[in-house]
Amino acid sequence: MNAPTTFDGGMIGRPTPRIDGRLKVTGTACYPSDFPLEDTAYAYLVTSAIARGRIKAIHLEEAQQVEGVLDILTYENTKGKVRKVRAFSGGGYTSTTIMPMDSPKVWHDGQIVAVVVAETYEAAREAAHKVHVEYDERKPKPGFDKRRPQPRQISNPLSSSDPQTGDAETAFQHADVKVEAYYTTPTQHHNPIELFTTTCTWSGDQLTIYEPSQFVHGLKNGVAKQLNMNPEKVRVISPFVGGAFGSKAALTPRTAFVALAAKRLNRPVKLVPTRSQSFDVSTYRAETQHLVKLGADRNGRLTSLHHEGWEVSSRPDNYKVAGTETTSLLYACPNIYTKVHIVHADRNTPGFMRSPAEVPYVYALESAMDELATALGMDPVELRRINDTMVNPIDQKPYSSRALMACYDRAAEAFGWSKRNPEPGSMHDGDWLIGWGCATACYPTNVAPAQARVTLAPNGRARVQTAGHDIGTGAYTAIALTAADRLGVPLENVNVELGDSSLPPAPVAGGSNATASICNAVAMACDEIRERLAQGAVHADGQLAGADPGDLRLSQGKLVAPDGKSEPLKEAIMRLGFGPVEAHAKYTPEIASAPVKLMGHKLIEGGISAMTSGSSVKDHVQYAFGAEFVEVRIHKRTREIRVPRIVGAFAAGRIVSPTTARSQLLGGLIWGVASALHEATEIDERVARYVNDDLAEYLIPVCADIKDVEVIFVPEEDHQVNALGIKGLGELGNVGTNAAVANAVYHATGRRIRDLPIRIEDLL
Amino acid sequence: MDTFSPLKAAPLSRRAGTRDTIEVVLNVNGRNHRLAVDPRVTLLDALREHLGLTGSKKGCDQGQCGACTIHVDGRRVLSCLTLVAMVEGKAVTTIEGLAPEEGGLHPMQQAFLDHDAFQCGYCTPGQIMSAVACVREGLATTDDDIREYMSGNLCRCAAYPNIVEAIKQARAEMEEQP
Repeated sequence: MNAPTTFDGGMIGRPTPRIDGRLKVTGTACYPSDFPLEDTAYAYLVTSAIARGRIKAIHLEEAQQVEGVLDILTYENTKGKVRKVRAFSGGGYTSTTIMPMDSPKVWHDGQIVAVVVAETYEAAREAAHKVHVEYDERKPKPGFDKRRPQPRQISNPLSSSDPQTGDAETAFQHADVKVEAYYTTPTQHHNPIELFTTTCTWSGDQLTIYEPSQFVHGLKNGVAKQLNMNPEKVRVISPFVGGAFGSKAALTPRTAFVALAAKRLNRPVKLVPTRSQSFDVSTYRAETQHLVKLGADRNGRLTSLHHEGWEVSSRPDNYKVAGTETTSLLYACPNIYTKVHIVHADRNTPGFMRSPAEVPYVYALESAMDELATALGMDPVELRRINDTMVNPIDQKPYSSRALMACYDRAAEAFGWSKRNPEPGSMHDGDWLIGWGCATACYPTNVAPAQARVTLAPNGRARVQTAGHDIGTGAYTAIALTAADRLGVPLENVNVELGDSSLPPAPVAGGSNATASICNAVAMACDEIRERLAQGAVHADGQLAGADPGDLRLSQGKLVAPDGKSEPLKEAIMRLGFGPVEAHAKYTPEIASAPVKLMGHKLIEGGISAMTSGSSVKDHVQYAFGAEFVEVRIHKRTREIRVPRIVGAFAAGRIVSPTTARSQLLGGLIWGVASALHEATEIDERVARYVNDDLAEYLIPVCADIKDVEVIFVPEEDHQVNALGIKGLGELGNVGTNAAVANAVYHATGRRIRDLPIRIEDLL
Repeated sequence: MDTFSPLKAAPLSRRAGTRDTIEVVLNVNGRNHRLAVDPRVTLLDALREHLGLTGSKKGCDQGQCGACTIHVDGRRVLSCLTLVAMVEGKAVTTIEGLAPEEGGLHPMQQAFLDHDAFQCGYCTPGQIMSAVACVREGLATTDDDIREYMSGNLCRCAAYPNIVEAIKQARAEMEEQP
């Protein structure tokens, strides 16, 4: 699998409508809450009205009198029934170690305190509002302190996991040109349009869970551990996911309670939390603060980089995204100091949200780079070029490939960057100030062990089974293209099954690893089928007798030799026995560490993604790159901010499914604009409660907010990352846009806004 | 589309154990359904939980996201903000009943497919129902108008540029064959 591969048929990289598209446009794609189950009862959550304290009493009498109410779960009847398991970020399963309904303790606002189950949704909702909870409330800490955090030099940097090299402080003091600033990013919620639904049903001791999930094997094994069950007795079904963005990656507390409720009633129980509850049911992107200090010589060469970050987490969990791993290797610099601090608060535990580490940290660094370009009087693109590097400056490991400047050049040309007047406030169109900004996007190329089963029938129809997930990413299509390519059959002959824990395990659809991990497993299975057919053919009396089996290819429904001799697929398959030929492949990333090579499949079978990060490969680093350019228009009087134009150029290795990859990057670029200008979860600091917890007040872009968006693919071949040369890109698009927008706002107005999101009131 | 006729209604669907139910005859995609439901049941929940028509999606249940958009007498309506009792005697069309023939696609469905005007697909039925009405109402004249009139349908995957292109393709076909 390690040699570069030639692709017969060339299906990989072919633009095509997504193969599951017809189901989606006709409303027949079955999302987990769409499965019809006989005799379903409905659950409704009661969530905490305080952020810190204890439940003194729960009064259920009034709720129990509502006609149709069947059961009410509280800590009094569920205590000890759900076992504690480790958090996903610590190598376990759950989004948080907070155990709701295990005791009267309240850790955060919106924590589940009761689950009401009734014959109908309406009765459950009515009864839930009649559950009266008395609290013993203590004053919560909502997040960061009001004043700026102070930089804290760590006495012994060698013992730290924070990337550091040289002496950043001394170099900064002696730098010719320096910039130093604080940047902040707000709390954000994923807000997939599909709610966090869960339906559980028991058949004897077998539990089936219908829940939108980015990791069905994790969910299955996590719930099994929580409920002290054999994992083989748990099945998770999630063939379609209505948006996730990280929010459906880890097991949240709700699932076990729905399973318990279904067990107690011995009938299916369906939970559809409200949108408001969804702000607390899953995770969020925590607010961050950054201190960035950059020093450079007069030519723009970086001499010192200091990036210190502060992140909010819950009281019990040390969740952090620690994006300094990326910002420390982005540019050549001999002296680097980084440090990440966690600030605990009375909040739910945060979690992964699209490009968890890169969005806040690269925003801070790329804003500071723009400030440095201004201080130097240098074009921001040229500043990146001068500091471009082919090695990680911390440990000198080479990049497997890095096309950052090719991306800049392609995007700059398409954008018309050469026509930019660098003077802030110098470009106008009538009543509108125009600003042009740019920034770097990057994302580590992560790869994980994955398994796939491929079946090829004599009629040329193929079936691919893997417990991967299509969360809108185009996974169904990318997997089908890979199989069609390797098996030499038309795309429409390939049927792909995903999102079911009874299928061979695949890793979490997160960290942009899925296409690389799963397509490599699928290709392996296809290659095994090819090999078996070839071996059969060369040893039989047919056309291909005596040929070298390694030379034979599957193409256009035939097994073909280089000299043009061939035999029909049907003949080749029937020779091996009656019926289809099947292969089950276990792909282990070439870049994996020795323990993952040994244990990776055991881990994934147990619901743990043994992902190798692109920044922690033994002898190189592997990242995808992009350059993002944004035009903002700011009205001279009202200060309304518009983004009429975005251009992004990306180099992400082999693009398996260009149609869906383009949509991923398009959506990512728009996500970045949303993050820079729209999104922020506002917190009532007196009570540590989210106040804009609905889709009218939590701002995300609508159609009228977005105009021209151009995505450019910069060709890139890199066979060090994995055999197929795939780098992920789902999380690449929204990394640079935050800073690009902020830099464009500076160019339009001369005002540097360092606290996101940038809104009208910041520009008055 | 069939005309409204209670006589053609399917057998009564009733959920036991709930208080004061009301009887409603619902005309959906040309078929009549008799329901006995809690008067608080929304049209969206009636479609999804009582009739098994799960193409219309619940994204907010409070009229903010547009995923539940359907047509009532040809006009776009948010089914989560409509009580089922309010549409008795009216013709309800959902994504499942949009295509002119069984197994076929409406030009708008085909256009969404052609332009990859979705990713996760969850908002898509609502987007398509809004887009069809938008064209029929003559509001999809310019790109800016399409963007404005489609702004009641949120797409978190942010397929907006592709949605605009899809609507332009379907508009041309719909205007040819009204």
